Amino acid sequence: MNWILPEGSLLEFDGLSKPLKVLRGLGGGGQGQVFEVDVAGEHLALKWYFPSYLARDPNLPKRLGESIRATAPNSDFLWPIALLRPTPATAEAIKLSDPGCGYLMGLRPPGFVGAIEHYAGRIEISLQNVLRAGFFLADAFHDLHSKGLCYKDISLGNLFLQAETGRILICDNDNVDVDGRKLSSVLGTPGFIAPEVLMSRDRPGTNSDLFSLAVLLFRLFTRHDPLRGQMDLGIKCLDEPARRKLYGEDPLFIFDPKNKRNRPNPEEHAAALITWPIYPETLQNLFLQTFCDGMKAPKRRALTGQWKEILAKTIDHRVLCDQCGQENFPDDLATPATCWNCKSTLTQPQTLRLANGVVAASADNEIYLHHFDNLKPPDLNHPVGQVVQHPSDPSMLGLKNLTTEPWTAILSNGSKTTVEAGKTCNLAALIQLFTPMGDVITTI
Amino acid sequence: MPFPNVRLTNRPLHFIYICDCSGSMAAQGKMQALNQAIRQSLPGMVKVARDNPEARLLVRAVSFADKASWHISKPTAVEQLQWVDLQAGGITAMGEALELVATQLRSPPMEERALPPVLVLISDGQPTDDFDAGLKQLMNQMWAQKAVRLAIALGHDANMDVLQDFIGPYPQAGGQVGRSMQGVSTSARQPLQASNATALAQYIEWASTAVVGAASMPVSRTQGSASEGNIPLPDLPPTLIDPIEGIGPVVW
Repeated sequence: MNWILPEGSLLEFDGLSKPLKVLRGLGGGGQGQVFEVDVAGEHLALKWYFPSYLARDPNLPKRLGESIRATAPNSDFLWPIALLRPTPATAEAIKLSDPGCGYLMGLRPPGFVGAIEHYAGRIEISLQNVLRAGFFLADAFHDLHSKGLCYKDISLGNLFLQAETGRILICDNDNVDVDGRKLSSVLGTPGFIAPEVLMSRDRPGTNSDLFSLAVLLFRLFTRHDPLRGQMDLGIKCLDEPARRKLYGEDPLFIFDPKNKRNRPNPEEHAAALITWPIYPETLQNLFLQTFCDGMKAPKRRALTGQWKEILAKTIDHRVLCDQCGQENFPDDLATPATCWNCKSTLTQPQTLRLANGVVAASADNEIYLHHFDNLKPPDLNHPVGQVVQHPSDPSMLGLKNLTTEPWTAILSNGSKTTVEAGKTCNLAALIQLFTPMGDVITTI
Repeated sequence: MPFPNVRLTNRPLHFIYICDCSGSMAAQGKMQALNQAIRQSLPGMVKVARDNPEARLLVRAVSFADKASWHISKPTAVEQLQWVDLQAGGITAMGEALELVATQLRSPPMEERALPPVLVLISDGQPTDDFDAGLKQLMNQMWAQKAVRLAIALGHDANMDVLQDFIGPYPQAGGQVGRSMQGVSTSARQPLQASNATALAQYIEWASTAVVGAASMPVSRTQGSASEGNIPLPDLPPTLIDPIEGIGPVVW
């Protein structure tokens, strides 16, 4: 690639006390190029825009300046840190007729891969972590929208995830704008754009973000596009006019209960048919809400808070099949259910009952502060307890104390014991736990 | 347990190079420059194919000199592609090359459903056969009409009119300005003028990455971005300033 900032060069910028060193080019696209740079010993990423892109979005530097002052909504955003404009000497070193400008942000930490790798089925990730990634995504947009901001261009391309944890990173935050303002010219990415924006009836904002968020969640959960079913098969050449029809003129959800014209084809769209039944009805309903009523009525789309609540609950209800080991997510833990994968009957799990929720006692399930307090919104960042397998007997499950305070356990023989920080209490013997946060009662 | 092993739905995307290998291509290292440019562009093309799993990117190439023939006849996944150098020598059977492409854009052998094909015509001269007949045969095919057709003029002796005919009429009203500003191409709805090996490499890289990306999966859209055509074309790469080009005569 032809790098517009010469690799190895020392470049000065207005407002930077020392020149930064361009270490290497990381990538490029239609908007510009991204470099790894050394700023006073710290390695950061620098995105540099092409003049043609700046010309189309003249308010970009202003918006970036505002975002930098507003600071990141939460730590899942790779947020802009500083806007860089070249000094005359740097402008000369950049061999473009108009040198343009750029911004600094943190480097993507190792271990995060593009969400496209999951979409393409090239990484191994558990259903639990896919759902966790979905929760973190809804949480990130919740915090962004709560600041009065909107993202405008959510797609698979600007999401990264960590397969082992479900943690996410949201990149390309340069279209972020105050909701309702018209300072950005981005419309979004076709396939993710809300129909009213694609058809130019409205500008992107928080309501269209909610549509794009639902598309992204659907694609992460099913590896399929929510609007490509039978109608997709009728399209010979999938070009711009065809996409406009599919996503704008006549958008129809593949699982719309009232209109079955766009159902997935068992051969061509198998992924959707296999994965959709994995998810509980409460979660499916949020997609129906957004893609049926909400298709034409933006105000009826599922809100970030709803996604957070239902996704957290879905994760709490994770049960492992005794036969095949696959993860299941029943709506109600007390109702008998069958495994979506091997169709065998699921053994009713032991549950942990807390003041604000019920968690199935399956290995790797976690309890959080919000489980003890119904005034706390769901937050999966800081687990306080985790269901773990005994190191030498995986069939033996325990609850590990992840806090710094000791817990008191009441055992089935009536005795009391202390579970120190970092220790695990055998769930088979446990009746009740007293913790400084509240009580945990086990039931079969 | 891992996420179920489900296959993502995808469609083929046929990418075809149509390369002039006439005798004049031997001059000034043009043939070598083209071979180099294509070979160097392949890693970027592999990356684009990975980033666009909804597209199955398949590459072929036609060469034309005294006759037109398939240089790579089998639609080849880009990861498996090994570029064998083209050799220059002969006249310019461009019309025959387009006929050859036309035979492959019929259904069948074209799949029932696909993404728009990308056709890249590269030439440094004048067709010596019946170009119009070849173009007519090509454009009779639905897949050719739907294709993204790009043309790269190597040097200053290429026949820009036939290359423009291949691309199709240049949109006048509301379109982007001018064929070139100071020798710099501003729109790919017109032939791209590659005056040197660097420019050629940039255009080949752009066609094989940015354009393939846009045809595979839509990219982020802004107001005022190119909307004409059945695939909006991404911006051309910014041209590095060549201190000699565009300043007028150096000595007079």
